[in-house]
Amino acid sequence: MNRRRWLLHIILRALGHRRGRTVLLLAVLAMASSLATALGIVSTSMEKRVAEEVRKYGANLIILPESARLDVGSGGLNFGVVSEPSYLLQQQVENSLAQSGLKAERSFHLRGALQMKAADIMVEGVNFADVRRLFPWWQLKGNWPAAGETVVGNDLATRLKLKPGDTMELTGKNQTVRLRISGIVSSGGEEDGLLFLALPELQQALGLEGQISLVRLMVTAGGDSLKKNAAALQLLLPTAKVSEVRQTARTSEGLLAKVKLLMIMVTAVVLISAGSSVAGTMSTTVLERSKEIGLMKAMGGTRSEVMLIFCGEAAMLGVVGGVAGYICGTVIAQFITKTVFASSAEFIPWFVFVSLGISLFLALLGSIGPMISVFKLDPVRSLRGE
Amino acid sequence: MILIFLQSSVFSLNTLVTLKVLESNERDTMAISLKLIPHLLAWFGIVLILLRGFAGRRSVVTVASIAGFVIGVTGTCILFRSFPVAIPFVVVKSALGVSFLFLWGASIAAIYRSTGRGITIFQGERRGNFPLGAGIAACMASIVAGAICTCGLPAAGSTLLTLLLLAVAAGALAYALAYSAQALDKLLPNSYTVSLSGMLVAVVALLLCSSSSLLRLDLFSPLSMKVMKGVHDFVHQFMESILIPDHLFIRSYIWKFIGLLFGKEVGFWGGLVIWFIPALLIAMAIGFERLPSVAHLRQGAKRRTVMAAAIRERRCRLVIPLLSVVVFATAAYQSSFPSVEYWDPKPLPITADQSGEITIPKKGEIDLEDGKLHKYLFKQGGREVRFFVLMTPAGQLTVDLDACAICKPDGYGQAEGSVICYYCKTLIPLDTVGKPGGCNPVPVAFSVKGENVVIDGITLVNSWSTTVQATARVKEGGK
Amino acid sequence: MSENIIETNGLTRNYGDICALKPLDLQVPEGEWLSVMGHSGSGKSTLMNLVGGLDRPSAGSLRVGGKDLLALTEDGLARFRRESVGIIFQQHHMVPYLTAVENVMMAQYFHSVPDEAEARSALERVGLGHRLKNRPGELSGGEQQRVCIARAIINSPKLLLGDEPTGNLDHKSTIMVMELLKELRAEERFTVIMVTHNQEVAAWGDRTIYLDDGVLVREERTAG
Repeated sequence: MNRRRWLLHIILRALGHRRGRTVLLLAVLAMASSLATALGIVSTSMEKRVAEEVRKYGANLIILPESARLDVGSGGLNFGVVSEPSYLLQQQVENSLAQSGLKAERSFHLRGALQMKAADIMVEGVNFADVRRLFPWWQLKGNWPAAGETVVGNDLATRLKLKPGDTMELTGKNQTVRLRISGIVSSGGEEDGLLFLALPELQQALGLEGQISLVRLMVTAGGDSLKKNAAALQLLLPTAKVSEVRQTARTSEGLLAKVKLLMIMVTAVVLISAGSSVAGTMSTTVLERSKEIGLMKAMGGTRSEVMLIFCGEAAMLGVVGGVAGYICGTVIAQFITKTVFASSAEFIPWFVFVSLGISLFLALLGSIGPMISVFKLDPVRSLRGE
Repeated sequence: MILIFLQSSVFSLNTLVTLKVLESNERDTMAISLKLIPHLLAWFGIVLILLRGFAGRRSVVTVASIAGFVIGVTGTCILFRSFPVAIPFVVVKSALGVSFLFLWGASIAAIYRSTGRGITIFQGERRGNFPLGAGIAACMASIVAGAICTCGLPAAGSTLLTLLLLAVAAGALAYALAYSAQALDKLLPNSYTVSLSGMLVAVVALLLCSSSSLLRLDLFSPLSMKVMKGVHDFVHQFMESILIPDHLFIRSYIWKFIGLLFGKEVGFWGGLVIWFIPALLIAMAIGFERLPSVAHLRQGAKRRTVMAAAIRERRCRLVIPLLSVVVFATAAYQSSFPSVEYWDPKPLPITADQSGEITIPKKGEIDLEDGKLHKYLFKQGGREVRFFVLMTPAGQLTVDLDACAICKPDGYGQAEGSVICYYCKTLIPLDTVGKPGGCNPVPVAFSVKGENVVIDGITLVNSWSTTVQATARVKEGGK
Repeated sequence: MSENIIETNGLTRNYGDICALKPLDLQVPEGEWLSVMGHSGSGKSTLMNLVGGLDRPSAGSLRVGGKDLLALTEDGLARFRRESVGIIFQQHHMVPYLTAVENVMMAQYFHSVPDEAEARSALERVGLGHRLKNRPGELSGGEQQRVCIARAIINSPKLLLGDEPTGNLDHKSTIMVMELLKELRAEERFTVIMVTHNQEVAAWGDRTIYLDDGVLVREERTAG
């Protein structure tokens, strides 16, 4: 048996001997590191999402029906629930736009659900010509659809195993449509989970002729005029809400920052208390084991060799606690994002190092004091039992 | 003592560079000297390792190293003088390649021998400790090191006289460095020994590390390129000969995995494997080395003492090959991330005329159509706007803000084929500059009137304040 | 047997104001079995700790096995202990969570490398071949002390120190342990210094010294 294997062996033996204390320390370390990991994962994935949303909206103004909740720019951060769908009248919006004299690219959208084989699918009706102009970053595999054709979001296509050329039958409130899939679209955003068809077709299928649920505008005039434009439009459309996209992104960023701050504070408190509890437990352990330490020194262990054994124990606890913390942290992050932000967190493998680092740092920091006493311990006295 | 040597080496380094770059001014001299330092350090390391490895042959190694360095420097200068630039590079590069192949052979021999079988492919092992062997090894390594140093210097025409002076300067430099290495070697404790294979791997690693910072001598990128091509060709031939794309047995998702083989990653990872294996093999060979037999010792304690000492010594010998792995990694890193400097001109202040229009001539002081980023600074009514004009590779002029709609306006720099957002470090291909969205620079409407680019000042200011100021929580100047 | 393994000259140890060991001159020839007797507090344990390199003298000189212990650093003393000294304590002192064989291997670990086969055979030699995998709690006092003896001699020390090794044992175990020590000494030829209260135990040695209040008061040779 070589020295390294032996060291590992006695470390495991020592930890196994005081099982209760080992489990306690592991729990503390795992808890602290899992909390920090969860915080990190939540904020990273949410930040990424918010940035994505901001990037996604090339439009700078959107018009929504008054009662519908805004679900743009906020990623998973929409707390509100759309109770009853409400719609804008397409004609009215067009009239108001013409009236305001606004030079703007526009795209009309209608969101709704269609049934396919008794399952609801989120569908969006758009004018593909507008979409191509306003959202040039949509990547399309296949062709833009002609009449009676549709494009499917990337995620949805994978989920339903759809590919270009397939035909699908969708049932709306009013009528059933047969659609041929002409392409798969991916934008890296929520579009990936939607099915797109021409606006009039969806309006017919849903029995919502002339109604839309969202208008995206790209107003070319810059400056403060954007805000003025929004206000002017708002006057003309009393039943709708006109808002700047950037603004919504900013509010969600602000909210995220506050949540993050709160979590950082909680984590700091937990880290501090975990650190002190590790330190306390470690020092009682060392006190109890002073005879053993004295014996090791009497047998001819140098101070650093004896310390290595005890540091090894702390490091072992740190590593195990860190790995456990990473696993728990990932689960907690999923839980938080599911319940609070209503979206799923990313799986970020490299956070295992963050978790390990925190756990190891706590374990070793907590054992600095005890290690000093190990270093200083006088074998004669400890063996005499003083 | 080392200090004196180092001082004199700095002096001779300056002389060397000054001689090589006759017409340049003092600042350039400094810059070039600084660039040479890593190469010289690598050579210093090589000499140190050789002194350690050939303990007892110190003077031979020192003299041979100095001679080799001088030969390397002057020889390469002569090559540069008498042949087109490409040829000396090819010569030095092939020398490096040969040394790497040699290392491969030696590593395989080492691992084979560690399995307990006797092998006598490499006669040099026994001869290695003769003065001649040590001298030749030191001389050859130093020739290559000197050649690399010379390749790091900018080429300049040189007469016979300057050549001679150059040789003298190089000699002085080498002398100073080699003797400081010797002094350092004396300070090191005797227990740090280097095995023959460890010495070889360290020397080759240092040579490759030193060469990898010079694009034209770099071995790693061509290696990974070769690997990629090789894999590509193989897979291609293979598929072509036995499989038709729509083969029954090949599902579409399998093609995805086959597609992986065509990617750039294959070359990189394959290159890495080839790059690191020799050093790792040598480390493994040392790790597998048999411990001395202790069966003849009756006393258990003595037996264990001998064993522990042998293990400790083996671990000591492992240090050099493992350090070499780090050096190899540095080389691969340097080659994958060459220290590129971004083209980032200082924004030129510019004003609008009475009608509020900014007019920039296409071929004025600055040639707008040279494919480079040209930055301007426009001030109006207490507002500042940074924007740039760029000709995309497609031949389209584009005017954009020096900021995007997402990030803090730290601005953009231009590297080969792309611009980089300094804030989020996103690389944006030049072809997509001028298109909105993402971290792309915000495009600004402009018109071309005759030979001028005309931009509306108001639009510019508005566009900046709506898209950029809105996101910038703190107003900061560009980089 | 002519060379002295221990040579002290005016060896003194003070703890604060208390003088535990008054200047002591002592020579122990190599291979001797020396018994040290005295009341508690007479300085015999102090002497033992000084000789074993566990403690440092306040004054005087101390040479053990040709080494000047005063000149050694803390780590040097540790190295001295692992290579040259084996210690047996009255309270046994074993690592509680390790088995008998692992306790012996611990001493090997600090010395050089652990070797399980050798540790086993050492335990077999002290008659504990059937108790290899037992923890200290599962061993009787005499058995524990025999493990400690195996541990003390595993690194072939020149000097074996016993700090009342039989103090906690009944008569039968005492005899057993002393017999074992005698047997091992005959094989390995180490020097023994044994502190004891017990006249009978002291009689196993070649020579007995009596300490009182830190002063060597009497010295006698065991006949035959």
